[in-house]
Amino acid sequence: MNAYSNQTPAARIKEEHLPETEPAFRKPNDRIAAIKAALFASPYSLCLERPRLLLRFQRSRSGRLSKKEHPLVKRAKALAYVMSERQPRIYDRERIIGNMTSKRTAANYYPEGGSINILEDLFRLEKRHVPIQLTAKEKLELVQIGLSGLFSSIGGKALLKPGRFMHFLDFFRAKRYFITEEAGIGHQVGGYYNVVHYGLQQPDEIAKTCLEKGTLPDGTKLERDQIAFYQSIRITIQGIRRMAANLADLAEKLAYHPGVSDKRRQELLTSADACRQVPYYPARNFLEGLQSCWIVHVAMNLEDFEQGMSFGRLDRILLPLFRRDLEQGTITRETATEIMASFQLKTCETLPVYSERIDQYFSGNGVAQGITIGGTDENGEDTTNELSGIVLDAYAQICTREPALHVRVHENTPRWFLDNAVATVQLGCGKPSFFGDNAVVASLEQAGISKEHARDYAVIGCVEMASQGRTYNSSDAALFNLPLCLELALNQGYCYGQRHFGRRMGAPTKPVEQMHSFNDVVDAFRSQVEHAVAEMVKVIGWLEATYRIWRPTPVNSMVTEGCLDKGKDVTWGGALYDLTSIQVAGLADAGDSLYAVQQLIFHQKRYTLKELLNILKTDYQHHRGLQQELLHQFPRYGNGIADVDQMTQLAADVFSNAITAHRNSRGGRYIPGIYSMTCHIAFGRLTGALPNGRGSGQRMSNGLSPADGADRKGPTAVLRSAASLDSRKWSNCCALNLKFDRKSVAGKAGRSALANLFTTYFDQGGMQVQANVLDAEMLRAAKQNPAEYPGIVVRVAGYCAYFNDLQPSVQDEIIERTVHGIG
Amino acid sequence: MKERFMVLDNMKKPLAGQIFSIQHFCLHDGPGIRSLVFFKGCPLRCTWCQNPESWSPASELGFKDHLCINCRNCLSICPVNAMKTPGQIRSDLCQTCFSCAKACPSGALIRFGNCLSTHTVLKDLQPEYPYYRSSGGGVTFSGGEPTLSLEFVIQLAAALKQDQIHVAMETCGLFHMEEKSESLPESGKAIRELLSLIDLILFDIKLFQEAAHQQFCGTSNRIIKNNLAMLARNFFQEGGPMIWPRMPLIPGITDTPENLEGWGDLLAELELNKVTLVPFHNLGEAKREWLQLKPGPKLNTPTPESIEKARHVLARMGITCYDPGEEEWPPASKSSPV
Repeated sequence: MNAYSNQTPAARIKEEHLPETEPAFRKPNDRIAAIKAALFASPYSLCLERPRLLLRFQRSRSGRLSKKEHPLVKRAKALAYVMSERQPRIYDRERIIGNMTSKRTAANYYPEGGSINILEDLFRLEKRHVPIQLTAKEKLELVQIGLSGLFSSIGGKALLKPGRFMHFLDFFRAKRYFITEEAGIGHQVGGYYNVVHYGLQQPDEIAKTCLEKGTLPDGTKLERDQIAFYQSIRITIQGIRRMAANLADLAEKLAYHPGVSDKRRQELLTSADACRQVPYYPARNFLEGLQSCWIVHVAMNLEDFEQGMSFGRLDRILLPLFRRDLEQGTITRETATEIMASFQLKTCETLPVYSERIDQYFSGNGVAQGITIGGTDENGEDTTNELSGIVLDAYAQICTREPALHVRVHENTPRWFLDNAVATVQLGCGKPSFFGDNAVVASLEQAGISKEHARDYAVIGCVEMASQGRTYNSSDAALFNLPLCLELALNQGYCYGQRHFGRRMGAPTKPVEQMHSFNDVVDAFRSQVEHAVAEMVKVIGWLEATYRIWRPTPVNSMVTEGCLDKGKDVTWGGALYDLTSIQVAGLADAGDSLYAVQQLIFHQKRYTLKELLNILKTDYQHHRGLQQELLHQFPRYGNGIADVDQMTQLAADVFSNAITAHRNSRGGRYIPGIYSMTCHIAFGRLTGALPNGRGSGQRMSNGLSPADGADRKGPTAVLRSAASLDSRKWSNCCALNLKFDRKSVAGKAGRSALANLFTTYFDQGGMQVQANVLDAEMLRAAKQNPAEYPGIVVRVAGYCAYFNDLQPSVQDEIIERTVHGIG
Repeated sequence: MKERFMVLDNMKKPLAGQIFSIQHFCLHDGPGIRSLVFFKGCPLRCTWCQNPESWSPASELGFKDHLCINCRNCLSICPVNAMKTPGQIRSDLCQTCFSCAKACPSGALIRFGNCLSTHTVLKDLQPEYPYYRSSGGGVTFSGGEPTLSLEFVIQLAAALKQDQIHVAMETCGLFHMEEKSESLPESGKAIRELLSLIDLILFDIKLFQEAAHQQFCGTSNRIIKNNLAMLARNFFQEGGPMIWPRMPLIPGITDTPENLEGWGDLLAELELNKVTLVPFHNLGEAKREWLQLKPGPKLNTPTPESIEKARHVLARMGITCYDPGEEEWPPASKSSPV
């Protein structure tokens, strides 16, 4: 009965000839340039259609009646109402249709989630760093919607309860950790292979049969919750079908508008035809395949929230359709690239809604709708194919902030593909990022995923990983401030500024006078980490319980293997693999600090712990020399020095062990990830001085990268340090950033050097790496504000240096040179 | 003869050389991903030089004003009171003990040049081997002038060759190859020994006219031209290291049509039909300040048009010009890694 097995296309991918030539279509044609221009011309806004429809539904008769129904059914009805009632919009010249919001570029508003935070910026929406355009009438509506959702948001329901007030404060202060899950779970790579090739008809029929027979697919009798689950699936699918039909109607209407060219009419009719077919029925060609993915993606966005909703391995999923179209002569490489570019541009229609306060933690308006390309099949055979190249070529045409592109690399990754991927990096958009299959698969197996399923991993959002279509991974549940735990460890569980009779933030660990060895310090650190993790897990547990009742996700459940077998929503633990992931910020800072404590106090015996504590409390005020020495002369992570790197390993292990000791309330595992969005900046502001010389309030190291300015020997040493760490426990991956100026990695030499740099890193066990190739504008910003831009490698003369290490006059020269492209 | 054997025997006992920097992940001084080993000491004093810390063969003290936090550790530690205020070094008093540089927490006072043993240098290079191997890269000796530390370079190159690493050397071309040179009777042999260990020579050519060379670089260019011819012969006829000329483009000095044509003729005659043009930059200007040297002459950087013009002049003479890093290196030579 389980039609969701056999997820992957046959291994015949390998046999065909693969393109070995230079990338073909990397310049946008008129259509792609025009769509992009229209997108860029529309201001960022906020769409209130979704909350408006939700409110209207609650007030409607069927809404009022649904209040008495099972929470799953109630939720499904509300979602189906939103999907069927929303206004369809089709924009000029696009090949893939389906509006993400009611505006061209806007954030969806989720009253159930954290969208309410935007009210903090209400009176200065247009003056924000990232302005948001709203009319006065909309602002008024925003206030109404915001207030009406105040107590119905997940965070409110879970935390505004007796006995949970201190946790609510902790949560709001976001000092020890930032619980993202309050806003939504999102972060999913659905089973798009089945969506494309079997359609939503498949889950609909499974649900129908189960309801008719009154049993699960395996014959067990249905319980009340399971009946409600299958009903929720069927109701939601009706909503999605209605949404697609509305689009088809509009496309047909537009096709016969006066003044529409014959060519555009044909395109619109094709789109209308496609939307009547997919996503309910199987896609019949490449265009319908992408259209199907897109409509389900919009439905996922309307259901949960926008973060990290990803497409998975589109080069594998769509290949059979593309090949068939090619054989039938109905598509060319060029048109396929155009359709793919139009599809990718659709992902730019959405953005997250953060107040500027929250924006510190997640700056950059990232939604990270991930597309994963390259990699292997379940037997470890290479699956890179011509569509992998087309995904890159399409992105090269648009160079936009979305989607996120991820390239899987293994021993047999073809060279043309790697070259194409690096050529895309050279465009300077920081995309794609690269993943080492060996390390990733090993870490997923560690999380309990079978080898075959692990090999079918796709990237969620920025770096997180899932076996596509089989995992429910609350992959960005929370971010964790690791260096703060060291502050608490040295100060009996209090922050440096805190008075000791106030509320203790951390665990009551020993005062420093009683710590006699380095192990004592590590023990205290470990206690603080475990204490904070336990607190965090408790809050996440409350949120999970609230999700089950108030925000189940039927769309997600119909594209996740396991749910239809068990008759359970993903929020109830239906997925084949269930995980919750916590990310760490400031890892290298924690590691370097432990090393500094060990050396300064216990080996060199230059200070006592008590003295060090006082120096840290006063932020090195009277010890500038020591601070400089720690920053510039002390060995640090990122220079390929095993002794120091081992301390970063120790810090990572303390964190990982604390995380993996817990289980979430769905029975799934907790797994750690080593990346920090921009939380390393926000946490940094709230954290005191560290023993590695980092001053109070300064930002911390991000992801797996060395602390600011700590890497003194260039990118090869950074990669060596990173690859030397044991990444098996990091089942939610890691992020390692490298930065180069355009000139230093330009041309053929730069392309091949970067490709070789990455492959060598992966050979040595590396897990993930991404390279930013910066342009003059960013270098100017770096010169103005060096602390914000550490570690930019620039080519000085024959060699490369860190931009911040250069004299201002030299920096000017380099900027000048970057502008003119000479040197 | 005796000295040459000594060099080989000494392999067990590592020699040492003055190195002022080792840079990794260099992409513009030979094929692939490379490490550059910068030697101290140079026989030329080109007015446009952007590496003045390479001139003297001895270790030197430099001061980076913008890094100083005014902690005054240097003043208290100096045994001869050679500093009144941080960075104001009285060269008549300073004994170059470098205790101030050691005591400087922020790296404002820096030591240029450390006497490093072959062993130490190799220890720095060895972790990079995987990058050389995957990219067809290797190690490039640069400077300064590596051949001034001849025995040390030979030992280092031999050790790298033993590990099957591609070795390149940048040279200003001023060294004694003739067996019968009076001042350095054995250097010719040692140079030949070195050549047998090197895969690629990046040979700097600057001014063609002897008088101009004397004026701008401080020496005659007679030996340089002879060496160029000899190395070309060695490459074509005796299977010696590949030789690849590189020319710094200094507006109004080296990029004049006469100078380009002069070199063009010689290169064509030697059948060296490829050259890398290295546009002048003034990124090293700050270094003169660090070393308390007089500022260099105000020179312009070449415009894209003037670079194009230079290319054109040489192209007319059948010589292909390349940008640094964009050279089409021939497939791996005799002893390169496979």
